[in-house]
Amino acid sequence: MSDALLKTRALQSGYGKTIICHDVTLDLAPGEITCIIGPNGAGKSTLLKTIAGVVRPVSGSVTVAGREIAGLPAAQVARSGMAYVPQEANVFRQLTTHENLTMGSWGDKTRTQEACDRIYEMFPDLARLRQTRAGNLSGGQRQMVAFGMALMLAPKVLLLDEPSAGLSPLMVGQMFDIVQRVNGEGVAILMVEQNAIQGLRIADHGIVMAAGRVALQDQASNLLASKEVSELYLGSRS
Amino acid sequence: MIFNALVNAALIAPPAMAFSLLFGILKFPNFAIGGYITVGAFAAYTFNVPLGLPLPLAAAAAMLVTALVVWLMHVLVFQPMEEHSAITLLVVSIALTLIIENVIRLFFSADVRGFEIPLERPWKLLGARITPEQVQIIIWSLVIGVALHCLLAYTWIGRAMRAVADNPMLAAIRGVNATRITAFTTAICGALFGLTGVFAGLDLVIEPLVGWNLTIPIFAAAILGGIGSPYGAIVGALLVGLAEEATILFLPSTYKIGVGFVIIAVLLLLRPQGLFGTAEIRK
Amino acid sequence: MSAYLISMGTYVGFFMILALALNLQWGIAGMVNFGIAGFYAMGAYVSGLLVAKLGVPVGLAIPAACVAGWVLGGAVALLSVRLREDFLAIVTLGVGEVIRLIVLNEDQITEGPRGLRIDGRPFGDLIGPELYPLFYLLLVAVCVLITYLVCERIRRAPMGRTLRAIREDDVVAEVLGKNVLMHRVLTFAIGGFFMGLAGALYAHYVQNISPEVFMPVVAMFIWMSVIVGGAGNNRGILIGAGTVMIFLEGTRFIGDFTDVLDAEKMSAMRIILIGFLLIVTLRLRPRGLLPEPKFNVKKT
Repeated sequence: MSDALLKTRALQSGYGKTIICHDVTLDLAPGEITCIIGPNGAGKSTLLKTIAGVVRPVSGSVTVAGREIAGLPAAQVARSGMAYVPQEANVFRQLTTHENLTMGSWGDKTRTQEACDRIYEMFPDLARLRQTRAGNLSGGQRQMVAFGMALMLAPKVLLLDEPSAGLSPLMVGQMFDIVQRVNGEGVAILMVEQNAIQGLRIADHGIVMAAGRVALQDQASNLLASKEVSELYLGSRS
Repeated sequence: MIFNALVNAALIAPPAMAFSLLFGILKFPNFAIGGYITVGAFAAYTFNVPLGLPLPLAAAAAMLVTALVVWLMHVLVFQPMEEHSAITLLVVSIALTLIIENVIRLFFSADVRGFEIPLERPWKLLGARITPEQVQIIIWSLVIGVALHCLLAYTWIGRAMRAVADNPMLAAIRGVNATRITAFTTAICGALFGLTGVFAGLDLVIEPLVGWNLTIPIFAAAILGGIGSPYGAIVGALLVGLAEEATILFLPSTYKIGVGFVIIAVLLLLRPQGLFGTAEIRK
Repeated sequence: MSAYLISMGTYVGFFMILALALNLQWGIAGMVNFGIAGFYAMGAYVSGLLVAKLGVPVGLAIPAACVAGWVLGGAVALLSVRLREDFLAIVTLGVGEVIRLIVLNEDQITEGPRGLRIDGRPFGDLIGPELYPLFYLLLVAVCVLITYLVCERIRRAPMGRTLRAIREDDVVAEVLGKNVLMHRVLTFAIGGFFMGLAGALYAHYVQNISPEVFMPVVAMFIWMSVIVGGAGNNRGILIGAGTVMIFLEGTRFIGDFTDVLDAEKMSAMRIILIGFLLIVTLRLRPRGLLPEPKFNVKKT
């Protein structure tokens, strides 16, 4: 796994003096989906925010394609070929769909036109809603805008924080389809998911976090099959 | 009367748009705008009268100076205090206006001044007295409004300004340097306040309180239009201009400054999101 | 010189009462009031007009001024409880300005800019003119003490805890069964009561009041007192009001000894100094000179 695209090594982070994530080491290989599951407060979102540069790491390293990015501000991490989609407030509500997308290519404005065309091809619904303010879109449409914005610069790694949160059950399924489609274009995905079973089903690898540490790390299929994991984290479905 | 209301509106509209933009980014009502407008008026006066520049040049120079002052105040005063509550910042901004006003008083004394412009006889139109300056104010105000609209709607930096005002964290995640955009926004707003100072000097008089007296009508216009919405601010300015002129018909003109307050109070109580703003979910 | 100190002490007293009242409204209950000058004017004119025009005894006029402030505070709070705090700031500032404009314009009643002359003073016939300023200083000091004790009592009482809860999160307080509206209106009214008291004391001290005293800048000085002293801490407020007053009035001495600046420039300098005092304090001590004490749940 030394050819991993995204690596964290002994990553620690938190807010003020409170450390939330302890000693997190993980690898994400090109083109793979890794799903992070675990109970509320396990530090999953904080881990993602730390990798994205939104929360400053206390110690440890994060590399994308071999380049160290730990400690860089989010605006610079955004230029490293990795894009982060936060769980909440992940679109500019006052801007139109199209304007939202263009904000996604801030790092390289010359590519805006072809990138927009690519996104509209990927999400035909958005092409129709070009001039609609993002604040007036439905939850699912908004999530597509958030994805589209993150994909504008064709990142190699996508960080998704609970992409299915707040969506209707019908939309959740569509959301996972979209994640798989994006992945099909060769984008590696590290995602945090409450919806553990569905998340693990589309993932290659799974990481179980508990109390800010990596508790288990395995093939997603093994985690799904593991009795211990399903009892502790997936909720018994008998 | 309608014409006077238009002039009032033209005077208030650009700073109301600027105030709205600033509020979007800084999230507190910045009373320092009164001081900034006064800076604009006195800078234009200095370039125009003692230094003898023609007024259009002096106005441009004043806009530059005010933009610089507003940016400096942002960097020196407000940026280091980001973590304070909106109310503390509001008090600081009033203190800043007092400081600016009195620094100007130190240098210029409280005398009433005016620009050096050729006196022209006012035109008469349908019984109204119209001065060429008033017509210029209206025209320039329109030009500025259109220019600001183009900047916000069609340029990268304008979109980024709106994005940062909307969601600074997401803007950073998408690679926007929010500090730089904020600095740019403050400078643009500064230029607008500077211009308002020039207009105020043309239409009213140049004295240290000129900005403070405009502050409340500006707030009223911005709040009427829905705070954070620069276009609403234009409509707000028109309504405030009309309301102010209408009061003169019924009440002594000294009540004029109270009109802004009453508009604000009534509106906030009935429709806190402004006439055109969208309701915001309280967090 | 000592006459000057006594007069300055009396003014410090007015400031302290106003600042304590604002601290109750904002520092403890989190409600913004930028209309302090209006409340102050209300107290001054109610008491002044009752005495000067209707011949009401001073001993009744001062309590009437307090009640007027109480009613005004309650009314403003009732009308605007739903507002965001920064908008409440603008509305209250407006209330203050409108009161001043009314005083200025309705000059058949208030004498407007000519100034209202008030001859009555508390215990005016009992105490000789030489001792009177000292007596008045004592009277104001007693009022400051009463205000302080009441505010401190409210802060420590269960009501104070409720108010802080409302300040931090009114929805949670409401869910916990606290009557948020009643607490807010009552607190704002009590603050108004003391601001009315300060106004009345001022009116009978100077005996000639006119609207230009009640400019919004008064509210600014009181706000600075509260922020510099430390919002939420009543003792800090007393220090804050004293500090601001010393900056405001004490600098007059410098004016007496130098002739570099004329009176107008001197007064400009003073306001610049006060502004810097606020900004520097906030930079060095963000929570004021004496920050709000943390409440220990077990202790209370």
